[in-house]
Amino acid sequence: MATLTPSRSLPTTKYLDQLEAYVRDRHPRSLAGIVEARLNDPARFEEIAETFMEWAVAVRGEAAIGEMVDSFVRFTTSVNMSQVRYERAGHYENKTFEDCLQSLYTEKDEMDDYLWGVYLTNFLWAHHTEIILFFTERYLKRLDDVQTLIEIAPGHGGWGAYALKHLPQTRLVGYDIAPSSIEIATQIMNAAGFANRARYELKDALNLEVVEANSADAVICNFLIEHLERPEKLMAVINHLLKPGQKAFLTGALTAAQIDHIYEFRYESELVKLAEDNGLRVLETFSGGPRRTLPNAKFLPRSMALIMQKRQNDIY
Amino acid sequence: MTSQDTERLTNIFCTLFNKPDLKLRDDLTARDIPTWDSLNHVNLMMYVEEEFGVRFTTGEVSSMQNVGDLKRLIDAKTTATQAA
Repeated sequence: MATLTPSRSLPTTKYLDQLEAYVRDRHPRSLAGIVEARLNDPARFEEIAETFMEWAVAVRGEAAIGEMVDSFVRFTTSVNMSQVRYERAGHYENKTFEDCLQSLYTEKDEMDDYLWGVYLTNFLWAHHTEIILFFTERYLKRLDDVQTLIEIAPGHGGWGAYALKHLPQTRLVGYDIAPSSIEIATQIMNAAGFANRARYELKDALNLEVVEANSADAVICNFLIEHLERPEKLMAVINHLLKPGQKAFLTGALTAAQIDHIYEFRYESELVKLAEDNGLRVLETFSGGPRRTLPNAKFLPRSMALIMQKRQNDIY
Repeated sequence: MTSQDTERLTNIFCTLFNKPDLKLRDDLTARDIPTWDSLNHVNLMMYVEEEFGVRFTTGEVSSMQNVGDLKRLIDAKTTATQAA
């Protein structure tokens, strides 16, 4: 097993406190969820939150904390509106990937706002903090001598930076189709002090012809699969990239509507089956959702994480 | 906003937040109603959409600060709908 670099203890929660004060003052409706996330596991929450906030402040400056919170509130509002409409319609909006590409992923202002909003959900949504803990304690600790970590669709880059923080010997290569993602992820890596161990390429990693087979000691891919029309392609790419026997970490959303969620997963077993059908063994899973839901909700929005291993020399 | 529309809006608040005696002041905010959190806010706005036959954008829903903002928003939307 790899030896993890222990998280340094943070002497203060300066930025987190500023964030919370801004929410209390400007967005009191969002306070309950944040308090819930903090109380769940205060020490771990504060370590994760302050780390992410330190990086964000290094990129955008302390004065931008309010703007980032505004992005988070807009994103969360949009998610909640989508969820209410999903409850009423019984299915996601019928969008295509091309719709999302044209209206969001390649639109700089919208995408920047979206990415900073998503960045804050990593710790301000209680169940996402739990997934980061699962990522750290159950996945990163399983990794052994990882030289090359490939991240598919890094988005804001926070997950990759958090991985490199715990894996000091590892280099990361990230592929994303959104120019804003490349820009922000690069800035986050620079802010985290890992610029010399990470590089990002504007590339569609789902195109098997442009990514090298058996090139990764580890693959991570967070919250991409539900944005795809054919999610099996992602599992096939993870298999393609991994060296035999190596491990991947993937997260996906189930019955959780969002303006750009396309593929509606209803059961955890669907993701497990997709992995198994594409040459991956599922080693461990975690599924969590928000504690507060809509009254009489039919659909509990969940986030699921899978730790998977590329199969080798076996039949089943 | 007409008194009839204010009554329709008040009914939504009373039902959703389970406060039958609620008086709908323009300066009423989430600080005054503990269950008015981000999720219930969206639920509220969806009920308002249905009741008044309007549709809100994410920006309008997230930036709304108090009941006065909501009333002005409904007025603007219903006026625009009637003019169309």
